[in-house]
Amino acid sequence: MKRKYYCLSLLTLLLTASLVHAGETGTTVKADSLRDAPFSDAKVITTVSASTPIEILKKNKGWYQITTPQGKGWMRMLSIRRGDAKQSGKGNQLTGLASLTSGRAGTGKVVSTTGVRGLNEEELKAAKFDEKQIALAESYLSSRDEAQKYAARGKLKSQQINYLPEPAQGGAK
Amino acid sequence: MKVLHLISCATLTLCAYAAPVSAFDFGQELRNAARELKKPAPSSSLGGYSEQEEVAIGRQIAGNLLGAAPLVQDKKLQKYVNNIGRWVASQSERPDLPWHFGVIDTSDINAFAAPGGYIFVTRGLYLLLEDEAALAGVLAHEIGHVIKKHHLKILQQSKMLDMGSKFLGKQIGGNDNIEKLIGSGAEIVSRSLDKNAEFEADRMGVVLAARAGYDAYGLPGVLQQIGHASANDSSVALLFKTHPLPDERLSKLDEAMDSRFDNLNGLNLGKRLYRIK
Repeated sequence: MKRKYYCLSLLTLLLTASLVHAGETGTTVKADSLRDAPFSDAKVITTVSASTPIEILKKNKGWYQITTPQGKGWMRMLSIRRGDAKQSGKGNQLTGLASLTSGRAGTGKVVSTTGVRGLNEEELKAAKFDEKQIALAESYLSSRDEAQKYAARGKLKSQQINYLPEPAQGGAK
Repeated sequence: MKVLHLISCATLTLCAYAAPVSAFDFGQELRNAARELKKPAPSSSLGGYSEQEEVAIGRQIAGNLLGAAPLVQDKKLQKYVNNIGRWVASQSERPDLPWHFGVIDTSDINAFAAPGGYIFVTRGLYLLLEDEAALAGVLAHEIGHVIKKHHLKILQQSKMLDMGSKFLGKQIGGNDNIEKLIGSGAEIVSRSLDKNAEFEADRMGVVLAARAGYDAYGLPGVLQQIGHASANDSSVALLFKTHPLPDERLSKLDEAMDSRFDNLNGLNLGKRLYRIK
């Protein structure tokens, strides 16, 4: 996908996997069915147990197409966590995932890989009000009508969906 | 989160003091004083600000944030995110707020919401987006914060709250007074919200995006990207400091979404996503 994308990936290094690259690794975070199509009523090929290393091939809405030791098929995206050994440079995908799930990610060794400093708390605290910028931002306002027309051009149709209830405490499936 | 923690500490402290007061019977006045202390301050009740006040507070915060990181100079981009954001916000309970959206020029990966409908995505985060559904999901999460007034709650719970109601009551429009309320610069956007506020905004985000006709998995897809390879990247330091880790957010979304979105045919609009030049 996108040559442009590869240029950007030089900047943000680890983070620009704009589409799932063939061969990107991941792991299952819970046991789930592997299906022959990205639908909940598609045929079940097999069940893959939790913590299985997998390879992610494609994404389709809430589904990833993956290869597992038990074969190829589709699994719900949220039963999987992406993690790529090659990109993280750790040589072992499980190391990367382990550091992520143990809550150490982003808090321990913060090493700049980009050489460009972003927003930090000190900068935010010291920030001074910029009237020109806020006025410029406000000048881009889209009215409801304008936004609706733009949505219609993309064939977006609004749907009635209730907000999700908060899952019960400890209510993991 | 930090703020709530402080509040619970304060409550504990109050209880700790209240108990000995009763136990040693230092007198009715002291007991009354303790009871008074335990009552929530009147100004901490939510919805204490008019919409006009809320927007004025948000404008000040947004203007300060833009002082730290200006808009990306790309009118088409800014107009595009306003179209998408306004359409998603139109699916919410507050469709008529003067919603403003923007992409700010920093390589950091983050998004910010200020009261009254000011929402900004960083260039670093924008560059990760795969399609319009992903943008809609990210904006919808921030819209959720605005609708639930999560940041206003922080202001009202903080030490500035008393000042706030006094200053804003009659003197709205004076930047100095609002500045006193929001503290230094755009510091408020770097404060952690309660974890549950983030999970709530995630749940609202997937629903608002789906209501707008998008694939509901745009936001979870972005969280997958942010989570999987960024442990050592400074561009997510602030995001990870102020939010639960993506892994935990994805688990919560998994529980909440379950199979509820299986029969919706939301769009992704990958080709329509505006690419920053």
